[in-house]
Amino acid sequence: MRAIRLKTVLWFLVGILGTVTVARFLKGLGATTALTDATPWGLWIAFDVVSGVALAAGGFVVAAIVYIFGQEKYHQFARPAILTAFLGYLAVATGLLYDLGIPLHIWHPLVYRQPHSVLFEVAMCVMLYLTVLFLEFSPAILEHPRLQFPVIQRIHAVLKRLTIPLVIAGIVLSTLHQSSLGSLFLIAPYRVHPLWYSPLIWVLFFLSAAGLGRAVVIVETLFSDWYLSRRPPVELLGRLGLGASALLWVYLALRLGDIVLSHRAAGVTLSDPLLWVFLAEVGITVSAAVLLLIPRVRYSVWGLTVSASLAILGVLGYRFNVTIVAFYRPADMPYFPSLSELMVSVGLVAGCVLLFLFFIENLNVLPKEADEEHAPPSRRPTDTISPYMVRPVFTTWLAPLRNYSLAAAAGAALALALIANGIRTESMNRQTPVSPPLQIATSTTLPVSSPLESLLAPIRKRSGSPSWMVFDANRDGRVVIFDHDEHAHRLGGNAACGQCHHAELPFHLETPCSDCHRDLYLSTDLFHHAGHVAKLGGDGSCIQCHTDESSVKTRATSTACRTCHASQWRQTQYVSFKSDVDSGRAPAYEDALHALCRNCHLKKAGQEGVRKDLGECRTCHHEVPASYLQVLGPYAGRGALK
Amino acid sequence: MNGPVGMLIDVTRCKGCERCVEACKQVNHLGPDQPRRWQRRIDDLSSTRFTTLDNVSDERSVRVLCRHCVEPACVSACIVGALQKTPIGAVTYDVDRCIGCRYCMMACPYGIPRYAWANATPQVRKCTLCYPRISQGQLPACVEACPYDALSFGTRDEMLAEGHDRILREPGRYLPRVWGENEIGGTSVLYVSDISLDFLAFKPDMGDRPLPALTWEALSKVPPIVAGGATLLTGIWWVIQRRMKLQADGSEPEDEAPGEHGGES
Repeated sequence: MRAIRLKTVLWFLVGILGTVTVARFLKGLGATTALTDATPWGLWIAFDVVSGVALAAGGFVVAAIVYIFGQEKYHQFARPAILTAFLGYLAVATGLLYDLGIPLHIWHPLVYRQPHSVLFEVAMCVMLYLTVLFLEFSPAILEHPRLQFPVIQRIHAVLKRLTIPLVIAGIVLSTLHQSSLGSLFLIAPYRVHPLWYSPLIWVLFFLSAAGLGRAVVIVETLFSDWYLSRRPPVELLGRLGLGASALLWVYLALRLGDIVLSHRAAGVTLSDPLLWVFLAEVGITVSAAVLLLIPRVRYSVWGLTVSASLAILGVLGYRFNVTIVAFYRPADMPYFPSLSELMVSVGLVAGCVLLFLFFIENLNVLPKEADEEHAPPSRRPTDTISPYMVRPVFTTWLAPLRNYSLAAAAGAALALALIANGIRTESMNRQTPVSPPLQIATSTTLPVSSPLESLLAPIRKRSGSPSWMVFDANRDGRVVIFDHDEHAHRLGGNAACGQCHHAELPFHLETPCSDCHRDLYLSTDLFHHAGHVAKLGGDGSCIQCHTDESSVKTRATSTACRTCHASQWRQTQYVSFKSDVDSGRAPAYEDALHALCRNCHLKKAGQEGVRKDLGECRTCHHEVPASYLQVLGPYAGRGALK
Repeated sequence: MNGPVGMLIDVTRCKGCERCVEACKQVNHLGPDQPRRWQRRIDDLSSTRFTTLDNVSDERSVRVLCRHCVEPACVSACIVGALQKTPIGAVTYDVDRCIGCRYCMMACPYGIPRYAWANATPQVRKCTLCYPRISQGQLPACVEACPYDALSFGTRDEMLAEGHDRILREPGRYLPRVWGENEIGGTSVLYVSDISLDFLAFKPDMGDRPLPALTWEALSKVPPIVAGGATLLTGIWWVIQRRMKLQADGSEPEDEAPGEHGGES
């Protein structure tokens, strides 16, 4: 029962992964991730790759303990640990395929070698180590009863004889790339926060990975024993835990000592939120290291579960912080992974667990139960018919498979429902310069006597049904009239909801106006220098605006616009909004700019010596397709101010 | 031209007319800018805009573009050599090699490379210093387009000399520094200015040490770790095997097997 429930959940998650996989490879990174130019590496690198490699450290750690240091009593952990590592690296390689912009080029490092790149070294080591892990684990496959042929036996014997060289190669390769994952960040001393950046970061990555490797072996053993309803070897696991604690202490001492002695973080103040992130991360690691020192905790299943999980959390937190949290990006370009990113990471883990379960059920991975007298003889879970299942049409052994395919299909369908909108429109909001709507009045709640009524009448006439809303997003008493149906119509009718609502981000409800009308939040410079030069008489005319010849010719030193355009200038603002002030409607950007220029343009168009098309939209909104006029200002991109 | 090229940008001469941006877009066939969620401003650098003007508090327009570092972090980071420092000085990009890992974007101290996120097979996009043009002896498109002589192009040494010369001639007009001369090993795109240009990099005072040296320090330890590690591990294995064998022979029953000490670290 336990097996079926667990596997049903896992297959459900794998089903979700399936849908997202299709979306990712059809639509690309932009449509499925929340990555930006300020955050080129997100969850897939931080978790699937950087953390994934660390989580797979159990393989080389246990191989070293058992084969090099001859600690035979830990032998039972070797195969499951190597299997976990193998699957972990498989997940890393798969996760990388999702993250690479051009996954078809993944083999390029083999051909275009670049030994100066840390990433090249990591890639080579990971690839070689994946091969080593496969060779280390393959005896378990070759021992399967159905593979008992002389040829395979000979291969098995050769592989067995190669154990020690393979183990040594594996340890060396692991040492290299576990540490090199840290070295990756050496190149960005100006972006990694001083509490995390260190010239020793590669040593820290290695030490923490070695500690983490033991913690992972503990959790993985507890898990498989829970799954098989067996008693875990608490005594041995506790001793592994003590070793993990020792390594974590060395890591912590070096990390904290380095920060203190180097004075690198001298400028960090209490108001820096990253300081608290740092304290939380280190605190978790310290608590794990402390807990594992206490024998009562260390030699109990619950104590081990909690402390080893804390150790994993702490070390993965280190990886996450270096890659994402403590990696500098502009404050107005924050990063939070998209649903697709989260679903891929979770789905890959689920897939790994399923493979792990498949291997421990079908191959000689875990130690025999014979030494455990307490365990009843046949407790291995075999998948039986589930009560949740639809009437079994197939033979009994097929029945659970059907159950799982239902779960996977359900997951795939759910994922499709969740991400379809976001992927279609690619409109994911990253910034909210306005406060959320304080007051949303709909046509039914607004009193009829409101002065807004006169403004709303034409909208009503046009759409037939009351569709407008009133936002006071800035909470300044001025409202913006939002014609909902008109927006929906313009953006594509009923299919357009997703462009503003539940775009693919967790907890996302609606898109702020600024996401599309971004120029509303920028002060835009409309000054057309070349036009003025031509009008004022060419090259000799500079002096008319840049009156002071001795100073540098810049905006700051030139004559103010209102000196010449006095008639267009009013006190403190260029345009007045008398009628709208009464109604309570906020003056819109369009009002301001059109009042500034358009009225006059319309009047003068066609007059003597003035171009005929002066009053047309394209005169100012040049180079912009008409459909973009909604989102772009005039002279699109010209000198927008910070 | 003799030696690597350089570009000198005189911030005090720039009027912000954006002819350089227009020319760049034309030469590189970039098309109009599209508002996208990952851009702070429509005129920020993007996959359709290799250079832009950063208007600093309405006083100065400062051109932002790839600095073509003398020892570029992106080139040292690139896993497949898709980014190359050409002998002439330009840092170029080859999409046929690129695997899309985006480590170059993590590595750049000026935050220059942009990614064409919207494409199914996206590329890294950035200024190439008009490599195809300059290798034929032409000027970069932006330099050619500038009507105010704010951009100069020549060998890097000439441009450095010219920058210092301008500062000497008009000390009141400029801050006494050529940006890009020494920091992180120097850049091919140099600036003279009357306002501080520290904002162009992630941190002011980046030091003069080239960034690739930082990773090389760790990378250069790889061969000794391989050789030393393999030897050490083989040695430990051999010693422990031997002790266990001796023990199995029953020669020294009081000699315990090696304990928890050691570990794999």
